Amino acid sequence: MSESKLATLPAKSPDSNVFIFSSGKFGEFFKEIGEITRFAGNFFKSMVIPPYEFKELMKQCYLIGNKSLSLVAITGFIMGLVLTIQTRPTLARFGAESWIPGMIAVSIIREIGPVITALICAGKVGSGIGAELASMKVTEQIDAMEVSGTNPFKYIVVTRILATTMMIPVLVIFADFVALIGGYLGVNILGDVGFRFYFTQVFNQLDYSDLLPACGKTILFGFSIGLVSCYKGYNANKGTEGVGLSANAAVVLSSLCIFIIDAVAVQLTSILLPK
Amino acid sequence: MEKEQEQIQAVSDSKAAVFDPKEVIVDIQHLSKSFGDNHVLIDMNITVHKGENVVVLGKSGSGKSVLIKCLVRLLDSDEGTIKVLGNEITTLKNNELNVVRKNIGFLFQSAALYDSMTVNENLAFPLRDQKKTLEEIDTLIQEGLESVGLPDAGLLMPSELSGGMRKRIGLARTMILKPAIMLYDEPTTGLDPITSKEISKLILEVQTKQQTSSIIITHDIECARITANRIIVIKDGKAAAEGTYDELIKSEDKWIRSFFE
Repeated sequence: MSESKLATLPAKSPDSNVFIFSSGKFGEFFKEIGEITRFAGNFFKSMVIPPYEFKELMKQCYLIGNKSLSLVAITGFIMGLVLTIQTRPTLARFGAESWIPGMIAVSIIREIGPVITALICAGKVGSGIGAELASMKVTEQIDAMEVSGTNPFKYIVVTRILATTMMIPVLVIFADFVALIGGYLGVNILGDVGFRFYFTQVFNQLDYSDLLPACGKTILFGFSIGLVSCYKGYNANKGTEGVGLSANAAVVLSSLCIFIIDAVAVQLTSILLPK
Repeated sequence: MEKEQEQIQAVSDSKAAVFDPKEVIVDIQHLSKSFGDNHVLIDMNITVHKGENVVVLGKSGSGKSVLIKCLVRLLDSDEGTIKVLGNEITTLKNNELNVVRKNIGFLFQSAALYDSMTVNENLAFPLRDQKKTLEEIDTLIQEGLESVGLPDAGLLMPSELSGGMRKRIGLARTMILKPAIMLYDEPTTGLDPITSKEISKLILEVQTKQQTSSIIITHDIECARITANRIIVIKDGKAAAEGTYDELIKSEDKWIRSFFE
């Protein structure tokens, strides 16, 4: 470009570019939040209006619950075992080894169990739902359902969100139990603690203020995994490329939601149910 | 050669036998649809009579698929009216629309079989909210599979089917509710000439046996020749020509004639 032409171009302030970029990204972010909120609203509306898809709901509960069981069990066991092995030296330095079962119980039940299990499920279940729905979308299967007079939102989305909301808490309870077993084995690697004594110590340290908030937030974790994954899959585009993008976005956004919900839940618990 | 001519004549006779020009089943008037600045359909008018097969021809991206998607409201039209079996599709509420949709069969280009279900489950899917016993559903499924020449495919998954088999199963699933109107979105695309001919003959059988009215979107001139009572050629979002196969191959418009060469 010649010098004279350059001189005639209006000078662009670098700040204005940043502003345009930021407002575009922010705009997209808030638009997405709005779309997800509307999607959630449709879910609650469709959930209460008959007909109900019980058979599909049971099928999804089976797929989400049963097929994640082994992964959650292995993760939970390692979680309990590693936590015990890692914390023992620190507690031993203060002569507080007898606190290990109680410490493990509180850590696992209140925080680590729900969060780790939810993240595992966001990876396994969330990506599966995101990819499946996106694939259905790009291969016109959702359109085929709609044309046949079936409400695809009710059949596909409502059942999957309900199934994750119901099954993630069940998986978390199962993972917590297996993690405590892992903790028991970890305690016994370098010590000799009886099974009954260990679990008495565990349950002595727990009360309702540990269990109820944990259960509450796992329900929210399950709901957010189902909602976000279904939203990303159901609104997929860009053909087959969109399938991968949806699966990826489902996992990333679900995981982010889990951390946000956890942070809010911890704050609320400390305010509403102080120890 | 003579034998083939006789077959074509028989086909034409069977098409003419079921076609009732008095009763209008689909009436599209002044339909327009745009995607941003891209005006795909402009003031489109089409009528389909009872038992009539209307083939829509046109270049890729000329709005043929958009036309039939507007007909079942998978896409909302911008302007115009679409009457299907006397119902104005554009203004129906969702529950009313679903009732009308049960009278419309839609065979997608990819057949759109549900990947997570077996062939039997795919065929049973449209019957979910019909008050039928399991035995009745089984009978309907078996009849459907036999009508498309695949009586033993019931337990297969869609991933185990060839392209032609998928189209046949898609057709069987679409036909299971015995719809009054059939919409075919490129039913022979991606198939070899023999399978294409078989699918075209199946379309014709559906018309003659069940007296369905059909709109067939295709690029396949052989399919158009076998199935069409009337052909509409779309150009620049408008119906550029309309007539029987024999009329259009003799068209004075070079562009229209080029379709059939």
